[in-house]
Amino acid sequence: MSQDAHADHTSVPHAAGHAHGAAGHAHGAAGHAHGGPDHVPHVSPLSLYLKTFGALMLLTIITVGVSRIHLGTTTNLVIAMFIATIKATVVAALFMHLLTDKRFHTVILLSSLVFLAIFISFTMFDTNSRGRAEAIEHERPHDSAKPWEIRAAKPAAVPSEAKKH
Amino acid sequence: MSSATALSAEQAPSGERSPDFHVGHHWDSADSQFEAGRMGVWLFLVTEILFFGGLFCAFFVFRSWYFDSFVEAHSHLDWHMGAVNTVVLIFSSLTMALAVRSAQTNNKARTVQMLVVTLVCAAIFLVVKYFEYSHKIHDGLLPGGLFHATGFVTDHPQMFFSVYFMMTGVHGLHVVIGMGLMLWILIRANRGEFSQRYYAPVEGVGLYWHLVDLVWIYLFPLLYLVG
Amino acid sequence: MSRSITAEEVSQIPQSGGTNYINAEQGVWSWLTTVDHKRIALMYLVSTLIAFLMGGFFALLLRFELLHPGKDLLDAKGYNQAFTLHGAVMVFLFVIPSTPAVLGNFLLPIMLGAKDVAFPKLNLLSLYLYWTGALFTLSSLVTSGLDTGWTFYVPFSTAVSDTSVIAVTFGVFILGFSSILTGLNFIVTVHKLRAPGITWYRLPLFCWGIYATSLVQVLATPVLAITLLLLIFEKVAQIGIFNPKLGGDPVLYQHFFWFYSHPAVYIMILPGMAIISDVIAVHSHRRIFGYKAIAFSSVAIALIGFLVWGHHMFTSGQSELASAIFSFLTFFVAIPSGIKVFNWTSTMWRGSIAWNTPMFYGMSFLFLFTIGGLTGLFLGTLNVDLHLHDTYFVVAHFHYVMMGGSVIAFLAGLFHWWPKMTGRMYNDSLGKLSCVIVFIGFNMTFFTQFFLGSRGMPRRYYTYLDQFQPLHAFSTYGSWVLGLGLILGLVTLLASLKSGARAPSNPWGAKSLEWETQSPPITENFKRTPLVTHGPYDYDTTEDK
Repeated sequence: MSQDAHADHTSVPHAAGHAHGAAGHAHGAAGHAHGGPDHVPHVSPLSLYLKTFGALMLLTIITVGVSRIHLGTTTNLVIAMFIATIKATVVAALFMHLLTDKRFHTVILLSSLVFLAIFISFTMFDTNSRGRAEAIEHERPHDSAKPWEIRAAKPAAVPSEAKKH
Repeated sequence: MSSATALSAEQAPSGERSPDFHVGHHWDSADSQFEAGRMGVWLFLVTEILFFGGLFCAFFVFRSWYFDSFVEAHSHLDWHMGAVNTVVLIFSSLTMALAVRSAQTNNKARTVQMLVVTLVCAAIFLVVKYFEYSHKIHDGLLPGGLFHATGFVTDHPQMFFSVYFMMTGVHGLHVVIGMGLMLWILIRANRGEFSQRYYAPVEGVGLYWHLVDLVWIYLFPLLYLVG
Repeated sequence: MSRSITAEEVSQIPQSGGTNYINAEQGVWSWLTTVDHKRIALMYLVSTLIAFLMGGFFALLLRFELLHPGKDLLDAKGYNQAFTLHGAVMVFLFVIPSTPAVLGNFLLPIMLGAKDVAFPKLNLLSLYLYWTGALFTLSSLVTSGLDTGWTFYVPFSTAVSDTSVIAVTFGVFILGFSSILTGLNFIVTVHKLRAPGITWYRLPLFCWGIYATSLVQVLATPVLAITLLLLIFEKVAQIGIFNPKLGGDPVLYQHFFWFYSHPAVYIMILPGMAIISDVIAVHSHRRIFGYKAIAFSSVAIALIGFLVWGHHMFTSGQSELASAIFSFLTFFVAIPSGIKVFNWTSTMWRGSIAWNTPMFYGMSFLFLFTIGGLTGLFLGTLNVDLHLHDTYFVVAHFHYVMMGGSVIAFLAGLFHWWPKMTGRMYNDSLGKLSCVIVFIGFNMTFFTQFFLGSRGMPRRYYTYLDQFQPLHAFSTYGSWVLGLGLILGLVTLLASLKSGARAPSNPWGAKSLEWETQSPPITENFKRTPLVTHGPYDYDTTEDK
């Protein structure tokens, strides 16, 4: 069973771009007291980390830049979220080593996002569709000063409808 | 099949001195223990994502309801400070990742250095946050019922600030906790406890710190930029 | 040569004395600082049983008040406190933790052939967090109590109630972390600590159920944490997220709360179902019918359970569109449960059934859970729920599933694994008698409430119209019978500790791994890591009876 886990880590630590590491340390060497193999780390090259940082800085600049251009509220939001997701993916895959890890860890992360999406979207099914059946519920809660008065005829209902998207 | 009793790694063969670390008696190898530890940290990160997620939900709901208020309110946030914090945090993520890498390559000095830099970055983040908050408090831009700023034309700017303070506040708390964890790791690294054979705690704290960064990556555009 | 003894026969020999996890180390300190999952499980057992007795006391109190309309013992405020504390203590201190933290903790590693859970020290931390959370929650008993209902709805809890809302919600916040860490521990344990030969499809179904529960614990509980945090800040700092006067939305609180609390009910029932799968298979001496169906249905319930929380909010002001969506989805979550009930029943067909205490409780579970599940469908139907919401029909439904389901299953599991955990056999006749009394008392108490509810009796009311009095009185008498049965069950188990026969390692002739080690097990569970070559339900089914 431990053999399966071990199989993922037979890669030799990369020497490229790694100027400082303690020289010549034997890994997985013989003579250990316990019966199973050591963990052999997967070491990414330094250049990878630096390039990732550069990409993140670039993406941050793009995010700020695009936000100054007004393309319409939804578009701006979508673009901002899209770029943020790229940054997040980069951080998760490279800084957090998901790319070289067991696939199950990625499944863990993605499933949390799926359930978060369910939470937000189903809640917004409710909050964004109040008042479809009963006009009185169309008002935001704070507007219901006198909820027993039917306000269906009020023109104020129309602007809030436009406001909703 | 190994009949493992309490295990601890002995010295490596002659030449390098390898730090001692404990492998639990229920694990058949250090590798299994490491892999399990990492899985455990990822599961914990899931709980953090869902925890923050609730606040994101509140943000989206109220942004949808009070869009104009949110636009007006968010213009009172200083996006320059937000951007500075973003750069600081991403940089700290880099140094944290390099700290892990240094531990993986037995570079104790570099590990300690990187952790110190990360701690400093975290502190800078909190200082910037302090200035932001004190500015808000001075202007009366407070959450919900405590809001007493004037000069707003929209109805519900206080809802924006409720969400703003909750999100950045909880995030800031996680930064403080992260600093505590980093300090713990720093002390242990300084004692020479980590090596290529055992760096799990550094990686674990690193993963936590990257999550703190991830949350901010979403917080910054949503709160500061998109209007 | 004379006939040699078979392994089966060896496992039936009562064991006498010897070192086991209970006597391995002496002293209170060794227990309080243990990392042995079995000792932690026992400490959880004692703690949750105390919580159960406390919750039960509040139940008897409020049922007593309902004997007649008007004040019998408690006034309106006092009654609010009684049902709130009953609910909060039962849900957060007993039903949610009990099966995973007691039976899950004890059995999971052993069933996997492991020496302990993945993170033993984290396990101990979970226990400490449980005690801390319990302390905060129960501190309300000596301060101003709690009268908001276990659901802490706003604006009553934030703007009106003068009881110890913050202390209790903070306590529940901490209890949530205990639950999360237990779930986290179990997930990693199942993934990483299976002995050689135990593939996923050779896991006892108990493990599948605990695994599915752990998924829910990890994904859902954090949302409860943020909900309670927001509640506390709403009370303390008026942030206004749930306050309509400031622009907030009280229904949003309900979304937040039920996003956790609906999956929470699956945290409560999935371990119970997990127990029943094992109990029925073992005591029918039969391979479980539809192993994969039961295994996957556990995971399906866990996942689909996240899609239906709005069915608690049909009358709250939630939009009609959302209500319709939630009602539609609610029907899907019933399907996997139905699959399980059919499979359990089919398992018994042509089995060699041992009618002992665990099987009695198992049968009770089948009957009571089915009623509970079916009545859930009534409530999931949007237009019907508009009439039944917040009536006693709801109270009856959830007691059928939570008590008739989870608690009965927990008792079944306790009686089933008691010999393994304590090394003692209890008096089976007394155990069966306790089950019969519990069954009768339970139905007296709660079946009546279906009628009360459908005839319009609202829940959480301390007084009522005269026409409801006979049914209420009958229900109260039932609660006394129920209490009696439960006390008898408890006494049966405790008595076994003093005077029960020593248990063999495999008194039931079961096939899963926990029965191959001694009763009670040694601290390391197994002397040698086992190598498993057969499934957990490989009964000899070639001879059809």
